[in-house]
Amino acid sequence: MRQIAIYGKGGIGKSTVAANVVASMAESGLRVWYVGCDPKADGSMTLLGGRKMETFLDRMKDGGPGEYEVGLGFRGAMCMEVGGPLAGVGCAGRGIIVALQALKRDHFRDPPDVVLYDVPGDVVCGGFATPVRQGFADEVYVVTSGEYLSLYAANNICRGMRNLGVGVGGLICNSREVMNERDAVASVAGMLGTKMLGFVPRHRSVRDCENAGRTVVEGAPDSEQARAYRELAAAMLSNSSFAVPQPIDPAELRSMLKELTAE
Amino acid sequence: MSDVLHPRPNPIVAAMYTLRDMDAEVIVVHGPAGCGFMVSRRLEDAGVRVVTTGMKENDLIFGAEEKLAETLRLVQDRFSPGLVGVVGTCASMIIGENLDRAVQKAGLKAKVIPVDVHGCSGANTTGAIRALEVAAERGVIPQEEMFRQREMLTRATLLESNRGLTSKEHLSPNYGVTKYSAARRIRDVLATGGRVLVVLNGKKELAYGHADVLRGVQESADALGGEAVYLANLDPGVGLPRIRRYARDILRDLECAGVYLEHITGGLDEYPVAGIRAAEAVSEIDHDLLVACGIVHAIPNLDRKAVLVSDQPREVDNYLRDGFAMVVSEPDIHARVMGASGIVRMELADTLREMAAEGK
Repeated sequence: MRQIAIYGKGGIGKSTVAANVVASMAESGLRVWYVGCDPKADGSMTLLGGRKMETFLDRMKDGGPGEYEVGLGFRGAMCMEVGGPLAGVGCAGRGIIVALQALKRDHFRDPPDVVLYDVPGDVVCGGFATPVRQGFADEVYVVTSGEYLSLYAANNICRGMRNLGVGVGGLICNSREVMNERDAVASVAGMLGTKMLGFVPRHRSVRDCENAGRTVVEGAPDSEQARAYRELAAAMLSNSSFAVPQPIDPAELRSMLKELTAE
Repeated sequence: MSDVLHPRPNPIVAAMYTLRDMDAEVIVVHGPAGCGFMVSRRLEDAGVRVVTTGMKENDLIFGAEEKLAETLRLVQDRFSPGLVGVVGTCASMIIGENLDRAVQKAGLKAKVIPVDVHGCSGANTTGAIRALEVAAERGVIPQEEMFRQREMLTRATLLESNRGLTSKEHLSPNYGVTKYSAARRIRDVLATGGRVLVVLNGKKELAYGHADVLRGVQESADALGGEAVYLANLDPGVGLPRIRRYARDILRDLECAGVYLEHITGGLDEYPVAGIRAAEAVSEIDHDLLVACGIVHAIPNLDRKAVLVSDQPREVDNYLRDGFAMVVSEPDIHARVMGASGIVRMELADTLREMAAEGK
């Protein structure tokens, strides 16, 4: 069973990338799980035809009858949303810990081929590091664009991974169409001691498919964009090179970006 | 790594005791059911009702503000208190529970003192200070009293780190010499016409136990001869009403036993400064043997031949390692004095009584 965690700055498109990668793997015949760890619980919607599913923690809180019902998504992709507290109360990190322990205990008796954890934002506390603790994901990818703040967040996430001793399989560039973006992300990846695993172009099909409650892989299967997601999924599956990253000085990062974007 | 390894009281416990000192009738512990369990038992022995919100896993994740508000409403309905304390715990405070908002939601008739402390807030006195500050803000105690107590607690923290419970990396529980050995030492001095100087440097309710040493020495002197002189921090005009009452109770019982104080060194919540005053008085009073009980490390420059009496087995270890030889522990004092309204008999004093009854 491959267990993959996807991290990245909030709003950078992690969930879009994650859902499309899961869809790509599912259509290739793999048994795949998508585990959304964001309390907003919206990452799986495009795999479920636009439906927002009940979260694991809501079920646990309400104590309703029966086990938590896993969502059955595109081409048999299994979906789970951890969920979490309302903004400003409780502890979302603790929620992730409890949910993932239950997931491992109750749902992976017959292990799938791939589990993909979609983790929100930075590694802000121990709970958000749970997906990369022993027994869960052993492969980490960081989604970023070529913008400074996004790369700054990627660097911070790599710092967290180094602290945890977890290997990173690469950066994924989810393009914002900034100047020399591919080079910028590839350079930062090299400085961090890893590589740029894939490049996802920016295209309106992403927005259109999301509006229709679908991944691009499902909604525009013959598009270039869908092909980019499929290539990324294939790159993840064939990747066997993981390195504990070496975080870089933010000033060095800024200086490199200035150089690359100079007219 | 922590620089002090042995377990010791934390800010939650100190906040709860301080709420008791301010005569809170009910204390609500906002946390898991077991948090503050041992201290709760003791406080209940002293007449304070302690309830818990009994937080569970779901409450950690989703928050338990409504649960706290509901618990406060239940407290109002069941006990009709005039003053309620709410104390945070690690679980509730780390997830950012808003005690004030829950109190407002509950809408109690009683005055409520919410204390947002937890076990990692620092020295235990942090909890006591926070409780006093909130109480002063809400008009439960005067501002001046809060400032005075805050000063005392700051001094107490320093005292403990310099010479007390947090002065060494590790202290093991030690029960010291036998009561028989200590009592015989006191008896021998009195029986040969010597002068025994007894210093009580008490801390709040613990003085109900330590004060029995003064009675025991006096009964020995009455039976065997010799002379006993007494110093104690039993000023009935210092501290919160409850603390003043402790001093009055003890003074009454001492007087009944024929114990009259040479000096009053301060109030029962002033042991960090009362100890310094006691040391000054000790240096001016001739004596053949010094007996010190209570928070004795607050008394500087004590004669290493003194008999020391402590309720804290780890402090006994501390004193023995500092070169004192005749150190006695009375480890069950705290459990026995909760709810007391007069001096409680202790084993060293009873041993003195038995020896006195046997005569010279």
